[in-house]
Amino acid sequence: VTMNCVIEGYSVKALGKAIHALSRIGNELWLDPMVKGLALRSVNSSHSAYGCFLFSPMFFQQYSLESASKQSSDTIKCKLVMKSVLPLFRCLTSIERSVERCHMSVSTATDRVIIQFFCRHGIIKTHNIHFQESEALQAVFDSHLCPNVLKAPARLLTDMVVHFPLFQEEITLSITPMKVTLRNYQQGGKGPMKTTFTEMSLHPNEFDYFQMGLDSDITFCLKELRGMLSFAESRSLPVSVYLNAAGKPVCFSVEDMVLEATVLLATVTNSDSRDHSQPTEPPTPKTPREHTVIAKL
Amino acid sequence: MKFRGKITDIACLNHFTRVVTTISKLTKTCVLRLTPDHLFFILPGKVTNGGVGMWCQLLQANFFQEYQMEGVTSEVQEICLEVSPEPWSRALKTVQSAKSVKLKLTRKHCACLTVAAELPTLSSVGRVVTHDVPVDVIPRRLWQEFQEAGVPDFDVSVYLPPLKTMKSVVDRMKNLSNFLVMEANLNGDMNLKIQTDLVSVTTHFKDLGNPAWGDVSSQDGGPSQSRDPEVMAEVTVDIRKLQQFLMGQQVNPSKALCNIVHQNVVHLVLLHEDVSLQYFIPAVA
Repeated sequence: VTMNCVIEGYSVKALGKAIHALSRIGNELWLDPMVKGLALRSVNSSHSAYGCFLFSPMFFQQYSLESASKQSSDTIKCKLVMKSVLPLFRCLTSIERSVERCHMSVSTATDRVIIQFFCRHGIIKTHNIHFQESEALQAVFDSHLCPNVLKAPARLLTDMVVHFPLFQEEITLSITPMKVTLRNYQQGGKGPMKTTFTEMSLHPNEFDYFQMGLDSDITFCLKELRGMLSFAESRSLPVSVYLNAAGKPVCFSVEDMVLEATVLLATVTNSDSRDHSQPTEPPTPKTPREHTVIAKL
Repeated sequence: MKFRGKITDIACLNHFTRVVTTISKLTKTCVLRLTPDHLFFILPGKVTNGGVGMWCQLLQANFFQEYQMEGVTSEVQEICLEVSPEPWSRALKTVQSAKSVKLKLTRKHCACLTVAAELPTLSSVGRVVTHDVPVDVIPRRLWQEFQEAGVPDFDVSVYLPPLKTMKSVVDRMKNLSNFLVMEANLNGDMNLKIQTDLVSVTTHFKDLGNPAWGDVSSQDGGPSQSRDPEVMAEVTVDIRKLQQFLMGQQVNPSKALCNIVHQNVVHLVLLHEDVSLQYFIPAVA
């Protein structure tokens, strides 16, 4: 089975940004060429964060999938090391300036992904990356079962998370009919080093869409989400957030005519009580991030 | 003990943030001393911070539209806190577009300097952000360390060259040596010198001008009367300390000068419209 596609110059940057976002999640990149498009996926080592970017055939200048046999169930499931792919797309500004188009092909026969950048001045850069055959990465999430749905421009979410330092790992999102609050989550006693406690809140009417089925208070990893928010902002896309009770995964998704992107994050079970001034004693130390396995291989 | 200040003017907020950011680049922790009229950022020159001292003074009325404080007792209208300027600077930087920013001393799980901002929004209800930055209240018995060092009995006082130029010179010299000699004379000449086994580099600055301290400096009416204007007063300093000072400066001061006590200390003074910053770099032992 082989997949061949051609990506027009300005879209290469979008592909690069998707890879950047996925690199914040995991160390491996799954390429899944399907009839409905090319999916790029990643999952972190603890299976508590999963990202998927699906580029429809319309995103590409050309997109073809060929099977040696007539069996349509034949697919390629290839897994690449993120460290081999990310450097190719590291500098997006220079890609924007110099890459005219990009050819990608995946062949099970050779176990290689070939990425070619056709650049200005007739320069062609060809990269051969070895891949491992792997089962496809799948995540289970039914957004229809989510009682709480928020939708807002990426800008709003970015403006919310900007108040937290880049090294902040986890944050807690609380929603009630009157207020949406984001605050940093401090795990265990930090000892003599006292950290800044940040809380920001806004009114639900700032969201384009706000559906509340139940008050919820969820804690998840912000670091793994930032790449996706940056992607959404670069395309000015609204972000949909599907929340459930603590312990169930939270889903962030964006879509436009040519692509869909989803990030699923596990949330901490038994999060702190809603009454959230700074706790007078540190919360149960070293509670491991209990999570639902959200991605199965 | 109470403190509550409010900034509603965006230029004041910007300026205050830049001051805190500059301080955060100079030191990891310092003392914040609050009085009814002033705020001071103090780093007493101690062996533990390599003898570097810092004194930064702000007139509160130039920054805060509202300012209320109650000192530790009714007679002592002062509060001294040990603060980490870096998280404070980070908190302030995220609220630059705020309609109003309140700074207050609060007690959460520990004493905190809380930055509370109201951010603009199209909705009827504003966005609110609070950052509780932990601080330590300094007991009164330690306060005598935080008195203003005052201007030392200097040998030469000279205006500094543009800080940007100094910074680029010092940045390059740092690659060659750990120690730098700063020298200046009353003719407005200043040299920055480094010397190693392989190379010596000197950058000469001329016609900088010497501030006229008049009666302010020493009892004999100032060193200028008896001193040969050509003779240099010099101090050998750790180049990284000078570099750190120069790295922190974000705004061009209205006045920048340097007092040199021969083989003893370099006293740098930066004066902005409403902020004065003094930095002491001791001579290398």
